[in-house]
Amino acid sequence: MVIGSLFRIAVSALRAHRLRSGLTLLGIIIGVTSVMTIISALEGMAGAIEDDLSRLGPSTFIVQRIAIITSEEMYWEKIKRKPINFDAVELIEKSCDLCEKISPRAFQSSRIKYGDQSLRDIFVLGATYNYVDIVDFEVAQGRFQSYEDDLYRRPVVFIGDMIRETFFEGLDPIGKEIKVGANRYTVIGVAKKRGSMFGHSQDDFVIIPLSVFSKQFGFPRRGLSLVIKAKSVDVLDDAMDQVRMVLRAQRHVPFDAPDDFDIVTADSILDLLNSLTKIFRMGLVGISSISVVVGGIVVMNIMMVSVTERTREIGIRKSVGARRRHILTQFLFEALALTLSGGLVGIFLGYVIAEALVGMIDMQITPSALAIIAGLSISTGTGLIFGIYPALKAARMDPIKALSYE
Amino acid sequence: MPLIETKNLWKTYQMGTEEVHALRGVSITIEKGEYVAIMGPSGSGKSTLMNLIGCLDTPSQGEYFLNSRKVSQMNDDELANIRNREIGFVFQTFNLLPRATALHNVELPLIYNGSSAQTRREKALHALDRVDLGDRVTHKPSELSGGQRQRVAMARALVNDPSLLLADEPTGNLDSKTSIEIMKLLDALHHQGNTIIIVTHEKDIAQHAHRVLSILDGQIAEDIIVPDHQRNGVH
Ligand SMILES: Nc1ncnc2c1ncn2[C@@H]1O[C@H](COP(=O)(O)OP(=O)(O)OP(=O)(O)O)[C@@H](O)[C@H]1O
Ligand SMILES: [Mg+2]
Repeated sequence: MVIGSLFRIAVSALRAHRLRSGLTLLGIIIGVTSVMTIISALEGMAGAIEDDLSRLGPSTFIVQRIAIITSEEMYWEKIKRKPINFDAVELIEKSCDLCEKISPRAFQSSRIKYGDQSLRDIFVLGATYNYVDIVDFEVAQGRFQSYEDDLYRRPVVFIGDMIRETFFEGLDPIGKEIKVGANRYTVIGVAKKRGSMFGHSQDDFVIIPLSVFSKQFGFPRRGLSLVIKAKSVDVLDDAMDQVRMVLRAQRHVPFDAPDDFDIVTADSILDLLNSLTKIFRMGLVGISSISVVVGGIVVMNIMMVSVTERTREIGIRKSVGARRRHILTQFLFEALALTLSGGLVGIFLGYVIAEALVGMIDMQITPSALAIIAGLSISTGTGLIFGIYPALKAARMDPIKALSYE
Repeated sequence: MPLIETKNLWKTYQMGTEEVHALRGVSITIEKGEYVAIMGPSGSGKSTLMNLIGCLDTPSQGEYFLNSRKVSQMNDDELANIRNREIGFVFQTFNLLPRATALHNVELPLIYNGSSAQTRREKALHALDRVDLGDRVTHKPSELSGGQRQRVAMARALVNDPSLLLADEPTGNLDSKTSIEIMKLLDALHHQGNTIIIVTHEKDIAQHAHRVLSILDGQIAEDIIVPDHQRNGVH
């Protein structure tokens, strides 16, 4: 009961100085807002990428000339690497007994046309028939290419949903002819809509047989990208080792030199992503902590002013029997109510901003429990740490001196 | 068993290198139900003595027993507890919380002893009734006259049914007509059995009491029982 009364006293004191209380809170609000924004946005981003990577199954890995670049030196080092060629695919097929499926693929950006409509910068993927078995995407309509399509170099195309929407809204796309670059292709299937990530549609692609791709665009300059599925998750590491050995031998890599190609799994990409966002997160959380500390000092200052201004009030309360801890609690509550309301505003603003940011880059965001807990504990902590000194000062006042304070 | 017993109370203030002795060995005894006035020139130590009796301060030397409990060596929180339960203090300057209503001001002592909101309200309303302010409970101090403010302060002093009511120049800031009202109220409270000590400069006011203590230079100079026929306000 005493606690409840003390809390009400604290809140009404803050209400009496709304503007001052509001200004005091700016630092806390800014700090908590940024912590909130950063954590929510990063979690949303990681979630989106994770979701995307999960399309590669857990036993699948990718072998590429260059898959990961984290620094400029690394770029200049890796750019010298030789492309991965069809011989490599054949050798791996022959010698990797832990590999279940291998799907080589190549990329090209090109213009596509249907009648007098055209789309530029469409992602053209040359792949083999088993691509659809390894990478998890769904066929919405028609079919994916067959072994024969690739073998006989048939000009067939499997299209992303965005292409269907643009060219064939309200029409049946199957059997229609579109132009990819200069050549004609027959549409055989449509992929299920994947939505967009980071502001990019993930449905603006077409897939044609790799044999047809090589004939039209030549052997890709950057080489082939191999998507390989191991026999099971348990043998994933051994399968990767087998592939590594085959490739090192084929590319004549000296035994003491590092690989001259990259092997990645969904997990390894996620690890990398996490370590990158962690650095980012720590840096920004550091910056926001500074604003919270500055905010805390402002709170302490305003609480000192408040205690001094209300010396007489403290004297009156003590003269009628308030103990030290009553006065201490009253002023501590006041500091807490102040910082907590700042924290709540910050959490709200941070969420709104994160949502807006994420809306701009088409990502899903869920209010992160971690961010809310962080925001609340930061503001409570600031209130306690910076409120304790002024509250102690108030609690220790001598009643006579406080009563005669002018 | 006296209500108040002080033995050789000293209060010394350190002013730089100089020592100011506000009280020099005050020994008094006051029984329950007494009505005592303390008089003396300015600076003689009246307020200092009242603050000691009211447990707002502790003596530099000497002993003070209130209800046979030794108060002179108590710590801050124990003193706060005594102030809350045993003592009602009325000040010359009222000392009300300016932003709070009369009712809330009167409830204040009850907040610190854990009374429920309902008990607080009931007791505070009753105390305001006793000082004839039942119709001003939602007024803030700035919306009340000086006499009314002092009556709110008296209601606050009474709300916990203290064993001792102390008033340090309660009429010092009031005109003579309002002073008479306040003194009538004090007389009535005494009549109801309260023990009252009042500090005053004015002989008229002091003559409401049954006993007058005169202080000079921090020492008791006179301790006089006022004969009934000389008393003011006795009918
Ligand atoms: N906090 C203090 N520090 C130093 N000296 C003090 C303090 N309080 C009181 N004194 C001194 O103690 C003496 C007694 O003061 P006190 O307030 O008790 O006088 P008083 O009799 O109440 O006077 P008045 O009638 O003017 O109210 C005075 O000389 C005063 O200057
Ligand atoms: Mg005085």
